[in-house]
Formats: sequence, C-alpha cells, structure tokens
Amino acid sequence: MINMGPQHPSTHGVFRMVMAVDGEVVVDVEPHIGYLHRGSEKLAENELYVQVVTLFDRLDYISNLNNEMVFCRTVEKLMDLAIPERAEYLRIILCELNRVASHLLFVGTFGLDTGAMTPVMYTFREREKIQTMFEMVTGARMMHNYIRIGGVKNDVPKDFHRRMQDLISELRQGIDEADRLLSFNEIFLARTKGIGTITAEKAINYGMSGPSLRASGVPMDIRKDEPYSLYDRFDFGIPIGENGDSWDRYYVRVEEMRQSLKIIEQAMEQISDGPTITSTRLVLRPPKGEVYVRGENPRGELGVYLVSDGTDKPYRVKVRPPSFCNLMALKELIKDTYIADSVVILGSLDIVLGEVDR
Amino acid sequence: MLGNLKGLGVTIRTLFRKPVTYQYPEEPKPIEERYMGFPVLTWDEKVGEPYCTGCMVCVRYCPTNCMSAVMKDNPLHPEGKSTRRKIVDTFEINLARCIVCGICVDVCNFDAIEMSHEHELSKYVRNGNRADLGQLLEMGKEYQQEVSWVSKKDKKSEEES
Amino acid sequence: MSLLDILKTVSAVMGVLTVLSVVVLSLTLLERKFIGRIQMRRGPNRVGPFGILQPVADAVKLVAKEDILPSWVDRGVYWVSPLVVFVPTFMIWVTIPVARDLVIRNMEMGLFYIIAFSVLSIVGLVSAGWASANKYAVIGGFRAAAQLVSYEIPIILSVLAIAMLAQSLNLEKIVDAQASLPYIFIQPLGAFLFFCAGLAELGRTPFDIHPAESEVVGGPYVEYSGAHWSVFFLAEYINTFAIAALVTLLFLGGWLFPGLPGNVAVTGVLVFLIKTYMVVLVIFWFRGTYPRLRIDQLMTLGWKILVPLAFLNVVITAVALFYGFPAIILGLISISILIGTFWVISIRMRTAPKPVYTVRLYDPTLEVLDAR
Repeated sequence: MINMGPQHPSTHGVFRMVMAVDGEVVVDVEPHIGYLHRGSEKLAENELYVQVVTLFDRLDYISNLNNEMVFCRTVEKLMDLAIPERAEYLRIILCELNRVASHLLFVGTFGLDTGAMTPVMYTFREREKIQTMFEMVTGARMMHNYIRIGGVKNDVPKDFHRRMQDLISELRQGIDEADRLLSFNEIFLARTKGIGTITAEKAINYGMSGPSLRASGVPMDIRKDEPYSLYDRFDFGIPIGENGDSWDRYYVRVEEMRQSLKIIEQAMEQISDGPTITSTRLVLRPPKGEVYVRGENPRGELGVYLVSDGTDKPYRVKVRPPSFCNLMALKELIKDTYIADSVVILGSLDIVLGEVDR
Repeated sequence: MLGNLKGLGVTIRTLFRKPVTYQYPEEPKPIEERYMGFPVLTWDEKVGEPYCTGCMVCVRYCPTNCMSAVMKDNPLHPEGKSTRRKIVDTFEINLARCIVCGICVDVCNFDAIEMSHEHELSKYVRNGNRADLGQLLEMGKEYQQEVSWVSKKDKKSEEES
Repeated sequence: MSLLDILKTVSAVMGVLTVLSVVVLSLTLLERKFIGRIQMRRGPNRVGPFGILQPVADAVKLVAKEDILPSWVDRGVYWVSPLVVFVPTFMIWVTIPVARDLVIRNMEMGLFYIIAFSVLSIVGLVSAGWASANKYAVIGGFRAAAQLVSYEIPIILSVLAIAMLAQSLNLEKIVDAQASLPYIFIQPLGAFLFFCAGLAELGRTPFDIHPAESEVVGGPYVEYSGAHWSVFFLAEYINTFAIAALVTLLFLGGWLFPGLPGNVAVTGVLVFLIKTYMVVLVIFWFRGTYPRLRIDQLMTLGWKILVPLAFLNVVITAVALFYGFPAIILGLISISILIGTFWVISIRMRTAPKPVYTVRLYDPTLEVLDAR
C-alpha cells in the first residue's frame, strides 16, 4: 500500500490517494478527499444573495467568473429577470477569457506532471497577461466578484477594445508556442498516449462531463445542446477526441482555447452600447421556489440547485461540482497502470480541490 | 523525433528574449486603476471631517464581518459647518479578514469607503493588521491624492451642470 | 620515482581538485541561470552581483543543515556510500588531458581506465539505497542501478568504434588523430549514441526518473540530508563535466582548433574549456525542454534501440576500415542511419510526415463533421 499524501509535489491541491500496488502495477486506488472542505453550502444559507456570489468565486478558484455566472443565472431564472444585452456580451467575453486562463494553467501543470519544467513558465506568462486584463476590468486578479445578479457590476474602461485585440493576438502566439513545445514531443506522446483510456459509455455512466468526456468521443457541450445567454449567436466548434486517453484530454483543452478566442473575437464585434445592469435592489427577495441551472465550466458541467423561501437569504444552495464527478472515474482509470502513470492520469482529469470539497 | 527537435527550437528562441521578471521590491508591478486593495475611509477636504457617518450599512453587508463601527453626534453640525448630523466615532477593519470583495463600496450611500491600492499585509506586530480610524483615514488620504479622487456626488453634480 | 616526481604529481592532483571544485560550483550556478533564461526569467541574482556567490550560499546551507541519522540504518555502509560514489568520479580526471601534456598521468589505456572507473560509482548507489533500510530506497536504488548498468553498453561500444578509428586507447593520440576532421563528422551516429547514453548515465532529463523518483517514492537518496547529500550532488555535477569533457575529446577534437597551434598550453586549455562548456550547455538545454521517460520506456529505449544501433556502428566502422573506405563515406553512411532511425521513430509515434491528430472539431449545426 502506497500513500500519495495530502501534499503532492505536483499541484492539484490537498488530495490523498492510497494505492494498492503489486510490484510496479497499481491494483486498486482509494481517494481520500475533504481536506479543503469549507462548508460553502452551509455558509450560503446565512448570507444575502449578493454575498453568496463571493462564496461561489472561491469554489473553483481558477475559473471564478464561470462560477459566478452560473449562480447569477440561477437567481435570474428564479426571478424571471431580463438582462441587458451589453451585460450578456461582457459576461460571455470574460467567461471565455477565464476558460482560456484555466486551460493555460492545466497545460502548464500537466507538463510539470510529466517532467517538463518549461511549459509552466510559458503558460503562466500568458496567464499573467489575462489576469492583468481582469485587473483592468473588474479590479481584482482572481476573486473578481464582478458578475452580479441582473448584469455586471460596472462598465468596462475606455481602452478595453484596443487592449483586448492586442491580448487576443498575444494569446494566440502563446498557445501556439506551448503547443509546439509540448504537444507532439515524442517523449510526451510516449508518456500520455494510451494511458488512462476510458470508453464513451463508461464515461457517461460515471457522470463525467466537460473536456474529459469530450475526449472519449461524446459530443456533449451545454453551450451547443442547450444554448444559454447568447451562445447561439456565435459560430464555434467543439473539439472531440477519439481514444479517450490522456493525450486526447490534453489536446481537447488546447483546441478549446483556440475556439474560445474565436468566440471572444466574434463577441467583440457584435457588442453594442447600452446599460450594463438592471436596476435590482441589493437585497433581493426572489419568489418561493426551486430551480436547477447548469453551465459549462472549463472543467465540466457546474450545476446549481437553489431553493428559496421568499426571504433575502437562500434556503438551500446545492452545487454539483464537475471535478467531483470526474474524480469518480479515477478508480477505473488507474487500474493496471504503473505508479508513474497515476500522476499523469490524475493530472489529465484536471480537478480542482476547491470544487471537489466545496 | 521531429516533435523533439521543434521543441528544442522553441526553447532556443526564448533564450534570447528579454526576461519578464519584475525585480520586486525595487521595481514593483504596475497596478491598474481599478485595482481593489484594502478598504479605506475618505476625508472631506472642504469641511475637514471624514465622509463616513457611521451608518453601518457596510458593516452589515460584509460577508466576513471584518468591520465594526460606532457612530456619534457630529459637533460641527449645529454650528452649520457640515450637513452630516452624525459622524463616525470609531471604526475598525481587520484587514487580515477582509476578502476584498468590494461590497462595502457598492452599498455605501456617502462615498465614504473606497478600495485603495494598498495590498501589502506584512507587519511586524502579530495583530498589526487591525486598522483603526486614524490609520484608515491616513491610507484614505494617500489614496485620494494618488488617484485625484472626486466623490460620486460631486461628479454627478459636475455632469449635470 | 624521485622526490621531484612525487611532488609534481601531488601538486598536480591538488591543482586538479581545486580547479574541478571551482568549475563544478560554477556549473550549478550556470545551470540555474541558463534554465532561467530559457524560461524567460532571470536565474538567481540576489546573492552577489549576477548571483555569483549563490554556490557559496548553497554550500553553506547544505553544510549547516542538521544531519539526521535514522537509528535503523547500517552505519558503516551509510557513511561509506557517498565516498564510493564520489571517489571514482575524481579518479576519472587523472587521465583526462586538458591540453597537450597537461595531464596528471597519461596512460596508454586511458579510455579503458575511464570506463572501468565510471562503472564503480554504480555500486555506491546500490549500497546507498541498501543502507537506508527503507524499502522504497532499496527499490529506487536497484532501479537506478539497472538504468545505469544497461546504458554502459552503448557507451562502451561507441567508445570502441572511436578507438578503432584512432587505432589507440590513449586520449592524447585520439585527439591528435582528429587534426584533419573531428570525429563527429565521421561518426555522427556514435556521437549521438555516446551523448544519449552519457545523459542516461548521469541521471539527467529525459532520463532522470531516479532522482525524480521522489515524486512518488523516495529514490536512493531519501535518507541523506545536509552534507551527506551534498556529496552526491557534487558527484553528479563532476560526472556531468566529465562526460562533457569526454565528448569534447572523443568527438569534437579536444584542444585543437583550425588555425591555432596545437602545442601551446594556454590556447589549448581555452579551446578545451569553451568546447566543454558548449556541450554542458547543450545538456542543460535538453533538461529545460524535455519531459521525463518512464522507467520501462527508458529500458526499452536502451536495450531495443541504442544497443542494436551501437553494434551497427561498430560493424560499419569495421567494414569501412577493412576495405579502406575514405572517411567521408563512413560519415555519410553513419548519418543516413541516424536520420533513418529518427524517421522510423517519428512514423511510429505518428508525428511525421504530418502529425496525426486524434482530436477534431465538431460543429453540430452543420451536417458534415469537420475533419482536421
């Protein structure tokens, strides 16, 4: 029995795997989670809706704006609120930019898991540019608290368009560079091809979603199946893998970054002037009821189930985190692989412990 | 092996690029205008008192309960020098607990609290991050000078006229 | 031996020891700064101007660390293993000529002596793992030993081919024989083999699964801390410099440079140092670029690809010498075999002629599936 303890040398947060090993081959694995449990769902029962947005920021702490957006859409659906169009466009632009940032972090740390120490520096350099853009628009590099119920907090500054055009071209170059360094490197291919394969049927049975599911060949993407918030006005493709191994999970995310940049370009052309927030009171009292809304996070499908009893604080907020459900497939994926591959497989699932433990 | 050789080409090209390090603390990274640092209290130059009236709306809306305030009667009001009936007596923010979410700024009716550009938390005392009214007003004055701060009410009256 | 001879030898040995220590310390700093530049950042630059005093800081830190000695280790073996790893690496430097006649003792069988001593340090690694009385350290030590032993064979065979070309095992004669054309043009296959196998001998990326085994289980060094570990650390860097020096001597022409006289000591040393540092920079460049190979992939690479290629190298050298082909024909055959191997590997891993994408774009609004 080998214990890969709560603190990994490679990232992913505090996660413990106890593996039963026969020689060099892993026979069974038992993941232990809960080291990052902060009680977000219970805390949310005691906070106003404006304050719950700050809690959702910190769930999946790498793609903050996507989480905020799902929660705000949940409350707006419960209250039947209409959002101004400019606010929708801004939300989509920032969410897609956050998706690029999240996948850049994945590419870097996945390279680190296999042993390559330079792609991390390149992708974090690009991520730094994105975070500077976020700082310019929202005021914070990570926990933005920008997407509010009814729209966004305030309008973008005046040089947003120009800086965004520069940023998009720089990001394209950065993604191509990290791609050329890592993706078709023979050593990287030998390390990730054929490792941790999962078939489409098993993946659906385990409840996986997001890029990990699409790498197995299942063309499911919430932005295309049930388009929410103006996604049906953009023309983009979704990358589908063939084999469902670690390389496919990695390359699907690289291609998704390029498609996100395409969406951002189209949104920048289509955006028009207008108000950015409807006049809602800060203390909302949604009608009694319950609603479930899902959105496409960079890691998969984030679902929020909200029960409201008419007061200004939610009665129950339940979060369906994508990383938690993706992690359920770990036992299946790690069976009959080597110890050194287990790190690679865990890295390719792209989990964030803030989501898994909430 | 072609992929390997291309990878070598990429690294040799980045060898000749300028490094992107900022040599902190001699060369700190430039901060954007909207950066949300710690909340500070603003000072009204014309009247000579803080904008804050101690109404405690921000204290109630803070998600982490990091602030506390006490209000008192404004001595300048009966003299007619100021339009504020009450003024803040003590105000304390525990900067180590603040999550810089900016909700306090959104709910304030008097433009009294602003997010400064201050973000460095290291102190020599263990609980040195509990900022009281004097410290907050001092940081606020620095922020106001740095940004040439105009309160939202004044900005609106300027735009209308 | 007269007293003068003994004094000369002793002073030469002390000289080599000091110069080597300085060079190796500079290598640690050079590595960090070079890899930093590859990653678009500066290396260490706080300690001393341009970080020159960083190795001093590292040495002080390592010596000042507490030497934790677990109570269940085998004391004698534990203390002796670092020495067993360290001493042979210094012994190699007795016969490496830095310029003509600038060597402690130039032996007729210099190359043989070097190979024999480089194998000795493997014993030290195994005993380090064994002495730690930690089952993961033992496994790690055995794995490291397997890797190092299996990569000795390509080294020996490529060195054999060089010795056949130069008709001698004496290092100075080998360098002299390269006066017309350095051996890298005549035997590019041999150079590549020696370089790759040398990287694997050192335990450097992409073959560094045994130091990086601390990712999952501890490697053989897990129970060593502080000053003990610094001995292993220094031994690795001295080995790196030794392999780079061997590559320079055997394949790049040692201290010879077209146009410069081969007899002057100062220019010889300078040329030698420049060439060796270039090779060392190439080793660091590989470290910055590549991910690591898994242990079984490493052994597959060694036994299934490098060893047959090494045998092929010896055979074509023998054939060329027997039939008296001019050197250039041998060079052409060698480089065509090398390019052929690269091509076959690319086709098997599906990165050439065009990379094979198993990910395609799918747009459900169109009826046709977009293929890349």
